Amino acid sequence: MKSVQRTGVIREYDMHSASVKAGYGFILLCCALMVVLAVFPLIWVVLAGFKDLKEFMSSTSLLPESFSAEPFITTWNQLGISQNYLNSLIFVVGSVICALIFNGLLGYGIGILKPKGHLAVKRLVMISLLMPTTISIVPLFMNIQNLHLGNSFLPLWLSYGANAMYVILFVQFFESLPGSIIEASRIDGCSQLQIFFRIVLPLSKPICAVIAIFAVNAAWSDFLLPYLVLRGGQLQTVMVRLFVFSTEQTVNADTMMRSVVFSMIPPIVLFFIFQKQLTENAVSVGIKG
Amino acid sequence: MKKRTSVISILLALCLIMTTMAGFAEESGVIDGDLTCTITLGNWPPDTAAEAEKALFEGYRDTMAKQYPNVTLVPDYYSYSLSNYVPMAKGGTAPSIFQPPFTDPQLLISQHLVGDVTDALEAFGVLDKFSPSYVEMLADENGRIYGLPRDGYVLGMHINLALFREAGLMNEDGLPMYPKTLQELAEYGQIIREKTGKAGLVFPASETYGGWLFTNIAWNFGCVGENALEYQDEDGRWICNFTSPECIAAMEYMRDLKWKYDILNADATTTDWASAHSLLGTGEAAMNFAADDSVDQPTSNKGLPVEDFALIPFPAGDAGRYALAGGTCYMFAPDITADQGIALMAYLKVIGKLPFLDDDIIAGMRADYAAKRDRGAPVLPAISAWTDEAYNNAKQEIVDEFCNVDMRLYSDFFDSISQGTISLKSEEPVFAQQLYRELTAVIQRMITKEGADVEKALRKAEESFQEYLDDEINDY
Amino acid sequence: MSGQARKKRIRGRTGEQIKSWLIMLPGLILMTFFVWEPLIESVRMSLYKTRNVELVRFIGLDNFISVVGKDDFMQALMNTFSYTFWSLVLGFLLPMILALLIGETRRGKGFFRTAVYLPNMLPGLAVIILWSAFFSGEKSGVLNILLGRLGMPQQTYLTRTEWVIPIIILIATWKGAGATALIYMAGMAGVSPELYEAAAIDGATVWKRIIHILLPAIRKLAGTLLILQIISVFQIMYEPMVLTKGGPDNASLSLMQLMWQYAFGGSMNYGKASAVAVIVTLILLVMTAIYSYFNRRESDWD
Repeated sequence: MKSVQRTGVIREYDMHSASVKAGYGFILLCCALMVVLAVFPLIWVVLAGFKDLKEFMSSTSLLPESFSAEPFITTWNQLGISQNYLNSLIFVVGSVICALIFNGLLGYGIGILKPKGHLAVKRLVMISLLMPTTISIVPLFMNIQNLHLGNSFLPLWLSYGANAMYVILFVQFFESLPGSIIEASRIDGCSQLQIFFRIVLPLSKPICAVIAIFAVNAAWSDFLLPYLVLRGGQLQTVMVRLFVFSTEQTVNADTMMRSVVFSMIPPIVLFFIFQKQLTENAVSVGIKG
Repeated sequence: MKKRTSVISILLALCLIMTTMAGFAEESGVIDGDLTCTITLGNWPPDTAAEAEKALFEGYRDTMAKQYPNVTLVPDYYSYSLSNYVPMAKGGTAPSIFQPPFTDPQLLISQHLVGDVTDALEAFGVLDKFSPSYVEMLADENGRIYGLPRDGYVLGMHINLALFREAGLMNEDGLPMYPKTLQELAEYGQIIREKTGKAGLVFPASETYGGWLFTNIAWNFGCVGENALEYQDEDGRWICNFTSPECIAAMEYMRDLKWKYDILNADATTTDWASAHSLLGTGEAAMNFAADDSVDQPTSNKGLPVEDFALIPFPAGDAGRYALAGGTCYMFAPDITADQGIALMAYLKVIGKLPFLDDDIIAGMRADYAAKRDRGAPVLPAISAWTDEAYNNAKQEIVDEFCNVDMRLYSDFFDSISQGTISLKSEEPVFAQQLYRELTAVIQRMITKEGADVEKALRKAEESFQEYLDDEINDY
Repeated sequence: MSGQARKKRIRGRTGEQIKSWLIMLPGLILMTFFVWEPLIESVRMSLYKTRNVELVRFIGLDNFISVVGKDDFMQALMNTFSYTFWSLVLGFLLPMILALLIGETRRGKGFFRTAVYLPNMLPGLAVIILWSAFFSGEKSGVLNILLGRLGMPQQTYLTRTEWVIPIIILIATWKGAGATALIYMAGMAGVSPELYEAAAIDGATVWKRIIHILLPAIRKLAGTLLILQIISVFQIMYEPMVLTKGGPDNASLSLMQLMWQYAFGGSMNYGKASAVAVIVTLILLVMTAIYSYFNRRESDWD
């Protein structure tokens, strides 16, 4: 027996049977088809970006007539997307920091410190997991306006510090940490905050990485609250811009497709850098959560 | 008669003196050094805007600084949408000036969400030069005025002459034979569909656009006066009426455009304003209900050469010749002071939105028209919101200088307005957006379900909108 | 002495408790501001006649009565259930099948995993806009181009009331199925290979192994994912908002979209918007309660 056994229902032994072999061929075919389905739209949108409006509206060919990068450059400059990228970057960085610190501390409280009454908080957080902010976006938006926090990143950053799912993920991770380490450091006279920053946080790199990736992706894709809060102009992020394009119809269909491409580049780059963490860690986290 | 003329000439002379005085004052620079206040200006071009536009607004700021040294201008990049304006107005964070479309002023006025500028207009002597139709849109029942028109438009039809040519619908003079009536529109559409394979008419029936265009069609079927889509009964309650025979006939017409004549573009229910222009501009559709202020859309924006483009009047119906008139206006934060009102009016004067022409404004217009001509957009006369004749004539002269189109392709449209062969009508008075939404749903039903019951669908929409009216005004 | 020591310990404990709460405080404040208070506020607002952001007067359940009595609410409710139904048909089994298929591959597993997960990383809004070009009914729509290659006539898609919801779910599934599949794969990997080996030696066919070993092993996971999926589909909003604006003839209008329309779509009726939000919340709570009831019963049996 091999030290690491292959998983999967079909075993080595089955492959002698012709029908299983054919079935396996079929499986490979399906998988290949899936890859095509997953990737084709992305390839298409890039190809569509090379077309001008007339070609985009009239041509029945999937390939563009020419592959000049000029339309992309023109769109980038015309719409001033660099500013939106910068805004998105600021938004994402602030959101990730808030997501880690505030949810982490709350998770630390619920999962490790466990003061009297922490269970009630835990339950509240669990319930809010099922009620995403969209449901109460109206009063939330009013609160933000009443505090004169409109047209600023601050409320958006902070909103990532109040994510029930991240809190729960932290709690689950912290609860799995060996209590003895924390007990030992407590006896050594570390304060609770010291324990958090010296002991818990260094041990929590995997969960922090996962939540950071989640938060980056969520913040990059976020547009409803940012749209309401950032109003028009200066601070618009890439996704807010795209949403405005789609609702206010200020750009042409071909430009729209190029903007879609621009909005997808950072997540795709991120994906290829962190694909291992994403397809493995994120999943194991997902299975617990 | 004679007496009247003399009165007018005295008035004109007075105006002249006033403008000259203003001119003198300008030369010395400062107009009012005592006026001290801060105004926040919505729609200021953001950093991402074109350099020329930013420079233009910086120029305005310099001029203001010279004329009113103690007025502080705070740029705000806010671009109006009803969804975010209301909480801002309530929370006291609305910019001093912003730009809503003409559908919203009455709603905002009735809810006291905008500021009164009547006195400021009076102070600048322009209160009586307002085109009356605009006064109606921007005033409350006491005649107090809350806004100024930024620009206006009149609905007509954009047509793609390349497709008309292909369908053999051009006469020897190079002018299109175009549909004068809604019935002809259906027939012309069929000819185009047969000869070119392209859609005769693009009808943007998504969200609220369909209903918006439909109101104009309904007017021409006779949904005005006692058959109006919206009216107030003797108790002052707002009543909607979608089930008059006229309205039903208009909706049947919409249904026939799809199922009897089959002239609509394939995806009408998801076609919006921009894609409608795209379809016309790229030669996928021959006709589009659209206004004079969006002629740059199919042309310079979507690539149709100006010689392949024409603007025609809105087709008449059996019972009416109406064209919807609307536009964008300037409105003001509900909490503006009298001083801020004056400062805002001064700002509007500087950016050329009051009926005064100075060198800067003329230069600005010329630059604007030159740019339009260069990028291939038709340079057309603007429909004026002011009744000041001298002002209007002076503007026309500048337009003529830059004209880059065969005006014969537009003259029927503009003549129909100036000669009054078509009547301008503003949007339905209350909650127009909601009305459009209801009617759009009916239109979508008509063009997606063959043989749909027109009256039943309209009755349902009527009930729903009446309930809305009751909730929002009648029973408030 | 001993009494004093105990006192000190208790005081220390209280101090520590207070400190613990202080550490949690920032997070709690944010949760309150962004999640809990707005939730309560929307319940409160739903009971008031509102004019813009002001609460004009208490009107009890009038908002609910008025909202529920409207045709578009009933339509949106039915549509929302229809979304849920289609997401079960299209979106529930597919990830499981994907996981099963990829799990069986002997080479290139990592590649397949990466490829199917990729769409999940893309911004949802961009995905919708991208697919809108596929489902365009004009001749340059991507599906129409592909149909044309196969010699079939041009079709319209989003103008068909009976197609819009499945299409929107199809797009959502394209984006999400890969990620869900990976979760299933992790669950399936938890099954010990020895079980299959033993079953194979006993002569169980591949199908039998799937049915008797694999599926029972992921049943609980599937239950959890199912309820999460229902909850998330129930809140579908921006997809129809961007793709069809709820049309044609409200055929794709969802409950949350109706809420957005009440609040931000021109009527500014925050009271009614909140009433819709509260109804959605209640439905979600009921679903969750049903789920946890069955979940508990099942655990009892296990």
